[in-house]
Amino acid sequence: MMKKLFSAPFIIFILVGTLIPMGVVAYYGLTDRTGAFTVENLLAVFSGDHLKALMLSLLLSLTATLLCLIMAFPLALILKNSKIGKKGFMIFIFILPMWMNFVLRTMAWQVLLEKNGMLGFLGIINTPVAVVLGMVYDYLPFMVLPVYNAMARIDDSLIEAAYDLGASRNTVLSKVILPLTVPGIVSGITMVFVPSLTTFAISNMLGGGKVNLIGNIIEQEFTTASNWNLGSGLSLVMMVFIVISMAFMGKFDKNGEGTMI
Amino acid sequence: MKKYLKVLYIALIVLFLYLPIGTLMVLSFNESKSMTSWQGFSFRWYREMFSNEELMEALGNTFTIALWASMIATVIGVMACIAMNAMTDRKRNIFMGLNNIPLLNADIVTGISLMISFLLFGISLNYGTVLFAHVTFCIPYVILSVMPKFKQLENHTYEAALDLGASPAYAFFKVVLPDLMPGITSGFLLSFTMSVDDFVITHFTRGAGINTLSTLIYSQLKIGVRPTLFALSTVIFLLVLVILLISNYVKSEDKDRTPKKAKKADEVTEDDYIYRSGMTLGKKILVGIVCVVIIAAAVKFTPSTPGEVGENGVVYVYNFGDYIDPELTEQFFEETGYTVVCDYFDTNEEMYPVIKNNTADYDVICASDYMIDKMIREDLLMEIEFGQIPNMQYLSQNIRDFMEEFDPGMFYSAPHTWGTYGIIYNTELVDEEDFEGDVSWSILWDEKYAGKIIMPNSIREADMVAAKLLGYSMNTLDEEEMDAITQKLIEQKPLVYSYANDNARDLMIGDNASMAVITSGDVLYAQEDNENLAYVIPVEGTEVWTDCWAVPKSCKNYDGAMAWINFMYSYDAAVANFEYLTYAIPNTQLDDYVYEDYIEGETVLSEIGIINPSEEILARCETLKNLGPEGDDMYSRYWKIFKSK
Amino acid sequence: MAKDTTLIQMKDISKSYDGEIVLDEFDLNIRENEFITLLGPSGCGKTTTLRILGGFTKPDTGKVIFEGTDITDMPANKRPLNTVFQKYSLFPHMNVAENIAFGLRISGKSAAYINDKIKYALKLVNLAGYENRAVTSLSGGQQQRIAIARAIVNEPRVLLLDEPLGALDLKLRQEMQYELIRLKNELGITFVYVTHDQEEALTMSDTVVVMNKGYIQQMGTPEQIYNEPENAFVADFIGDSNIFDGIMIEDRVVEICGHKFPCVDEGFGRNKPVDVVIRPEDIIIGKPGQGMIDGVVTSNVFIGVHYEMCVEAGGSEWLCQNTRSFPVGTEVSLNVEPENIQIMNKPQSEDEEAISLEEVLGEEQQEE
Repeated sequence: MMKKLFSAPFIIFILVGTLIPMGVVAYYGLTDRTGAFTVENLLAVFSGDHLKALMLSLLLSLTATLLCLIMAFPLALILKNSKIGKKGFMIFIFILPMWMNFVLRTMAWQVLLEKNGMLGFLGIINTPVAVVLGMVYDYLPFMVLPVYNAMARIDDSLIEAAYDLGASRNTVLSKVILPLTVPGIVSGITMVFVPSLTTFAISNMLGGGKVNLIGNIIEQEFTTASNWNLGSGLSLVMMVFIVISMAFMGKFDKNGEGTMI
Repeated sequence: MKKYLKVLYIALIVLFLYLPIGTLMVLSFNESKSMTSWQGFSFRWYREMFSNEELMEALGNTFTIALWASMIATVIGVMACIAMNAMTDRKRNIFMGLNNIPLLNADIVTGISLMISFLLFGISLNYGTVLFAHVTFCIPYVILSVMPKFKQLENHTYEAALDLGASPAYAFFKVVLPDLMPGITSGFLLSFTMSVDDFVITHFTRGAGINTLSTLIYSQLKIGVRPTLFALSTVIFLLVLVILLISNYVKSEDKDRTPKKAKKADEVTEDDYIYRSGMTLGKKILVGIVCVVIIAAAVKFTPSTPGEVGENGVVYVYNFGDYIDPELTEQFFEETGYTVVCDYFDTNEEMYPVIKNNTADYDVICASDYMIDKMIREDLLMEIEFGQIPNMQYLSQNIRDFMEEFDPGMFYSAPHTWGTYGIIYNTELVDEEDFEGDVSWSILWDEKYAGKIIMPNSIREADMVAAKLLGYSMNTLDEEEMDAITQKLIEQKPLVYSYANDNARDLMIGDNASMAVITSGDVLYAQEDNENLAYVIPVEGTEVWTDCWAVPKSCKNYDGAMAWINFMYSYDAAVANFEYLTYAIPNTQLDDYVYEDYIEGETVLSEIGIINPSEEILARCETLKNLGPEGDDMYSRYWKIFKSK
Repeated sequence: MAKDTTLIQMKDISKSYDGEIVLDEFDLNIRENEFITLLGPSGCGKTTTLRILGGFTKPDTGKVIFEGTDITDMPANKRPLNTVFQKYSLFPHMNVAENIAFGLRISGKSAAYINDKIKYALKLVNLAGYENRAVTSLSGGQQQRIAIARAIVNEPRVLLLDEPLGALDLKLRQEMQYELIRLKNELGITFVYVTHDQEEALTMSDTVVVMNKGYIQQMGTPEQIYNEPENAFVADFIGDSNIFDGIMIEDRVVEICGHKFPCVDEGFGRNKPVDVVIRPEDIIIGKPGQGMIDGVVTSNVFIGVHYEMCVEAGGSEWLCQNTRSFPVGTEVSLNVEPENIQIMNKPQSEDEEAISLEEVLGEEQQEE
């Protein structure tokens, strides 16, 4: 009984730090400037320019998520099989860049990709490609760590058992390693998809103002346009995607195995 | 062969991860302020770094917030895990679901929801709100790291301890906690790192008064990121790197010392390797972080002397980030006996709700023309007693005319800086005849310069360019005119290299584009690093902007506020601010000031057309007006149409 | 009994990890239809031997020859051998039937064939009807049987078993031992079994290979291993033994603890130091003066079938087992039939170097 009391601070923080603020967003999102109830701010997402921005956001964030997965899976596989693929190394490589600030790191890509920058010949600055690159760069660790952790948990003897039963390399990969890595993959997908979908800083810095994502619109409503109601309404719509992600994660990762650390 | 491929693959990923970081490190040694051109090796920014109080303050904030947030989150998280462990599966799943919300929630939604909640409930945004927000988003990381360790835990050890006469608390701390330690350490470390790295949530919840490194960088974007930040980040990064390397080295030493037993490789389990290495590495990192924090805290509290209040009390100043020479506050203290406490914001829109909701008491604020207009209308400002400001006599005449547009009769504001918008162009990259004689804004629609044009990325400035070209007012509220303006901008879109506010100047310095719409204040700064840059104000006229000092109704130290404004108009302060910002300071004492022009050599300031345009040009200029909520909505609506095309 | 055709030859196999030699010029012949057990303490190289057979570990030198073909470089998935792993290693994301069908699907068998095989295999391991169970819901013994079923449906020529019963409790282990013997007889294939449990080895095997430190100490039938250990290590490792330093006075006479005992061994020479092994159950306890040597009972423990007693005699401790109890302090005499005294040469080469049981056990405890 005593033990249950220990959850009190947690509940307070969830309540005050998450649930009540959500309620406030919902309140603003469902009212207009005069405080009258309206669903206009929610329906606004279907208006031409909002919908277009949302679709672009979905496209870019899904691409970024897929790229992260494509990069992370072989990496995790290589690290699992090699001696250096130990926990310390992973933390080292992927957490270390976070000590260089997020804004600065993204800005560095801007410097590199500008027309006269080191990678200017790629000609991708101020295009959606650069934005995707930024997303992949900033959120790759969120994919690599859960995927690697899920994979590292697979007992080597399971893989040996599969080989023993006549499985080829590819069969072992597709029938044993891949299905057992699913919790990590799912958690990685959510951890990359949600922040990519809602980013505004990356598209601002690498998109040259030409790549207008839903995050930019929300940010604009709160800062320059000062329309909190519309901004909140659009945020509420964003939460739909977050809820979908949570359901997705709950379905595939029942035991909470897809953790980062 | 295959092995080489694997190594190559890892190498590529590592390169991808560290290339930008390497770039920043190199730039931190660049003599130039520019991010795009290399002008020689220098330690200049490292020297400047230590004398920059604002930067040190932000550093201190970043690390103290990270430390407190991760410590509080760790305690709360571990407690929650203990409670959850004693729950039924169903209840525990509900808790884990709740725990996932902040984790999966978009940063922007978390940040915004916290911000509007704080403001709605009248809580002023400060250090505490940032800390609260950080604790909120750190807890899930702790729980996710600790909970799996609970699952692995042998309940018997706890019971064994009780059986041996330990009290529950003793048993927990001596038996259970050590087993959880690896999870707790990694949760703490992850929280700490996330807190240090966070930008979005801090950006929204800090509001008035506090900067961390990330928000400082973002606010510096307004006048250009100084490489001191690169230098500081390099130092932090290398420090962490060294700590990690040392801890790795120490760990391998440990391993060598343990005698080799008859333990065969095929019997070493991966689990126990991970467990042990995670533990020692984690501990070492922990020690390292504590060191960093202590250093940061020491740095934070040595140069500034909190608690030392001048004989005349404290003046609270709320200003754009990095918008005065930071050394002036000290000078002001020495001259007048007022201690100055500065808080910073990035945009007028961020400052406005703070003043409107009275969430913090400021004596002096800095705001742009249209915002002054809005605040006067909403009765948020006090009149300025100009009798207390003798230096006001030095205010330039030409700026007085523009002030009539937003502060008729000049009762409420005193200009701090001013400037025009115009076209900065690279003489090497454009046809000279295009810029001989009168230049029209239409040059920005010239197909010849496709992909070499930079436009502003803000609603009013971009609209201004098209409005002026079309002969409309930049404050038009006419739907038809707005539509035409938007069409004009859409027409231009394929020709534009990028829409940029902050880094337009840097892009021009680095020869990345031929021309850009830029404010006059940035031109001198840019010319320092690239002498091919020139500035012209198009013949159709442009926007004149003025950022002014004003006194909000919340003012508690009116005399101090007056002293501050008066001080800003003193010769020393005007020179210092000009040298620091290279923005035009509307002060006649500066007219004869000799500026080391990078193109024409020593020039008297009043003769530099860039910051002192002729009467004839100024006659065609307008200032930005407050449009009211409907007007704002309309501009925002058309902007989104333009953006989505 | 096993036929005499050699199925697998391991020749000159050496393997070391990080400079530590695990197997040194190891030779082993495995005959068709044999139940062969590799027995030894942890770190003796038995698991490595099995992994080399299975194809999971490559030997540094030497060859593995299967029916005359060199399979040293053949990957695990191509070898006609299947393994039952120590930790069962069932695929947690598949149910029982899918686990069993794994190998069959890979070899492209028809669905009907696979179904029949699953039914057959489950029946064979006494788990009929378990097809759709999740493997995680099964008990240890059941999981072990599924692991065996999964291996045998592929009809391997050789089944490799790596301490498969290690995680089971005593009763289940004994049951499974009989099951394995039955399976082996029904399937008529070769079993290579790895264990550190001598009882398991003696119960099930046709041939026992006692290993230590990468060398074969002795190879033979369970009876040979038990009754005629070739060196003190084997004697010590197999069952309880009294091992004394003795002197072979002449043929058929050995001196132990200063007393001469008649024995049946010949050809050791005169006055030669030897190791003498006497099993505790072979010591006859009588009234003082009636035996070869007199002593005092120093401890007495009832362990079920009989009493285990220590007798201090001639300056040494004698471990004795008897159905009759002699209380501590009783003066007794000890006697041993000549044929129950086993004489062994003292180890001379490193190959035969015996290590004490304490050391072996000590290592084992540290590793677990």
